[in-house]
Amino acid sequence: MSEGGGGDAPGGWPARLAGGWLARLAGGLPARLAGGLPARLAGGLPARLAATMRRLALRQEAVLGVILVLALVVLGHLSDRYLTAENLLNQGRLMTEVALIALPMTLVIVTGGIDLSVGSTLGLAAILLGVSWKKLGLPLEAAIGVALLSGAAAGFVNGWFITRMRVPPLIMTLTTLAFYRGLAEGISAAHSVRGYPDWFATLGQGEVAGVPSQLWLLLAMAVFCWVLLARTGFGRSVHAIGYNEVAVRFSAIPADRVKLLVYTLSGLSAGLAAWVFVSRVGTTRSDMGMGVELDAIAAVVMGGASICGGIGTIPGTVLGVVLIQLLKNGLALTGVKGDATIVVIGAVLIASVLFTNLVQLRGWRAR
Amino acid sequence: MIRTMTLALGLAFCAGQAMAADRWDGADELPVHPLACDGAAGAAVAKPYDGGKAVNPPDKAGKPITLIDVPKLIGIGYFNATSKGIQLAAHELGNVTATTDGPTEAKIDEQIRFIDNAVTKGIDGVLFAANDPVAIAPVLKKALSKGIHVVGYDANSTPDAREWFVNQAEFNGIAKSMVDNMAREVGEDKAFAIVTSTFTTPNQARWISEMWAYAQQCHPKLHWLETVEAQEDNNLSFNQATALINKHGEKLAGLFGMTSVATPASAEAVTQAKLCGKVAVVGLATPNGMRPYVNSGCVKSVVLWNPVDLGYAAVYVMRAVVDGKLKPGATEVSAGKLGMLRVVNGSEILLGSPFVFTKANIGEFDF
Repeated sequence: MSEGGGGDAPGGWPARLAGGWLARLAGGLPARLAGGLPARLAGGLPARLAATMRRLALRQEAVLGVILVLALVVLGHLSDRYLTAENLLNQGRLMTEVALIALPMTLVIVTGGIDLSVGSTLGLAAILLGVSWKKLGLPLEAAIGVALLSGAAAGFVNGWFITRMRVPPLIMTLTTLAFYRGLAEGISAAHSVRGYPDWFATLGQGEVAGVPSQLWLLLAMAVFCWVLLARTGFGRSVHAIGYNEVAVRFSAIPADRVKLLVYTLSGLSAGLAAWVFVSRVGTTRSDMGMGVELDAIAAVVMGGASICGGIGTIPGTVLGVVLIQLLKNGLALTGVKGDATIVVIGAVLIASVLFTNLVQLRGWRAR
Repeated sequence: MIRTMTLALGLAFCAGQAMAADRWDGADELPVHPLACDGAAGAAVAKPYDGGKAVNPPDKAGKPITLIDVPKLIGIGYFNATSKGIQLAAHELGNVTATTDGPTEAKIDEQIRFIDNAVTKGIDGVLFAANDPVAIAPVLKKALSKGIHVVGYDANSTPDAREWFVNQAEFNGIAKSMVDNMAREVGEDKAFAIVTSTFTTPNQARWISEMWAYAQQCHPKLHWLETVEAQEDNNLSFNQATALINKHGEKLAGLFGMTSVATPASAEAVTQAKLCGKVAVVGLATPNGMRPYVNSGCVKSVVLWNPVDLGYAAVYVMRAVVDGKLKPGATEVSAGKLGMLRVVNGSEILLGSPFVFTKANIGEFDF
């Protein structure tokens, strides 16, 4: 394969075919960023090394890593309260719920689907935790189980309709976004449940080995999802479904079962996030998790996943979540107001997505 | 799923039963504390200070201080008004710098993040209006533990998580103002009905209870017809008000609107029935919602509080705390142009009597 597209972009036929400045940018910019010598000029080992470097440089994770380090350096320079262990660990605490949801969301998006109902599932699971403990008198441990199970059930329902009834994921989870939230509001009857015993706060407010408790849970979940997606046949099926579902169906991979499991995992994780959230804030409200689906999807997309499916990694998503959280925090500490922070986050998101697209476009040109 | 739905239905049926027979419908059964008819402050129930304490705050008496104000959300008229009051007081005092920053939606986790960042950044005081009294408590306690003063307004936290709370209106104060205005507009021996959200909505139920108690004591001939539920739904409120007008005919002399939706809808119903001047509407609502009806003369009194004064008072209270002029056990505090404000309920500062918006003053408000 040739990497020589960079130089001839303005005049080359693919640029004219694609037409306009975007394609010209696509031709020029990444190549210059990747900075390698044209492959055909070099030979042997240096060429392979250069190719590896280029691949690395073009990986979304690497780009995010660079942005993250840049942000840390710049913001750390502007505020002396930013790069402290206390602040960073605290930020970890605050981002756990979104991260817990973003991890399985990566799998969902890699299958070419989407799960918009996770925020409402979180709210429903939280309310069921509170109500089954306070109103139905279950032991709190069992109530936690109810929350996790109801989360998984909510995800299963999504998956069942999507695979068996062929409802498009966007429509199905948009429906349950409203439906689960409605249930949560109905069950809560506009009352929040409070007065949890002290031990219950350990997960959300306590520390284990000097690190916020929920970060250990998050770490376990991240490793689990990473192994699942990158190291197992199940993960390969997930990717394959996103690339070409029809082909997958012809190759005897149980696509429906894989998708059903992925959506159930997404719901279960929302239930888990509900537990963490309720423990962190010590109260249960029906509006919990409202809009969290958008934060999670933003992180996944920032992490390099393609919304069309087939592409996406867990490390990318983790970097996306961390970057968004640390940007929000760092900007706030340097005195940027909340509304301006949202704008910056939006700009970074667009830039990162644009970059991915340019890289993909370039990949297509190189083919 | 089935369990969830059964639960939802079950709870919906259980709610809203059992009503104390002698109270007006829609009232709760909590103890009532009607104010004296002449408005004299009732014998204050002596309650020891139950607020928290900032741990070793730096002594900044008389020195410049920096405050952050984190309302429930930013960008709405109501909190623009409190923010305006905060700036007004800061300007008047000269040694206070205050910044308002908060979430764009009333979400508990977002609000926690804003306060958390301010605490990390380092600040002299936090002013807040809580989205949830329990959820906000841990981060406020964290602020107190770092020597940062904490004063709430509009929506309280658990008392031990802040030092003082500026209470815009007590239930009995609102109740007195509502009933007094109704009696003045329709006469002492006329009949009225109430349009509320639902019989179990906590604030509305509390207000109705206090209105009942105050009317028994100070306007015993005022005749209650019935209370109707209208959720907080515009159409339903209008229909319910119209139904009341048709059902009771001549007998009906007044309507109480208990929500900011029910009051304008009742005014609209009266306007459309061409009964302005025959059926009075008195209620809780915002000036923007009521402006057309007040300007047309159909509605004479809209009861609420003045949010500009509320923010203004919060800054004066904070300054007094920093200067050591407001200590646990104090019975009043000086608040600039508002004069001396009373300490009630242990650690709350009462803003004063509710504010009545009339044709004369409604033009000054935008929320």
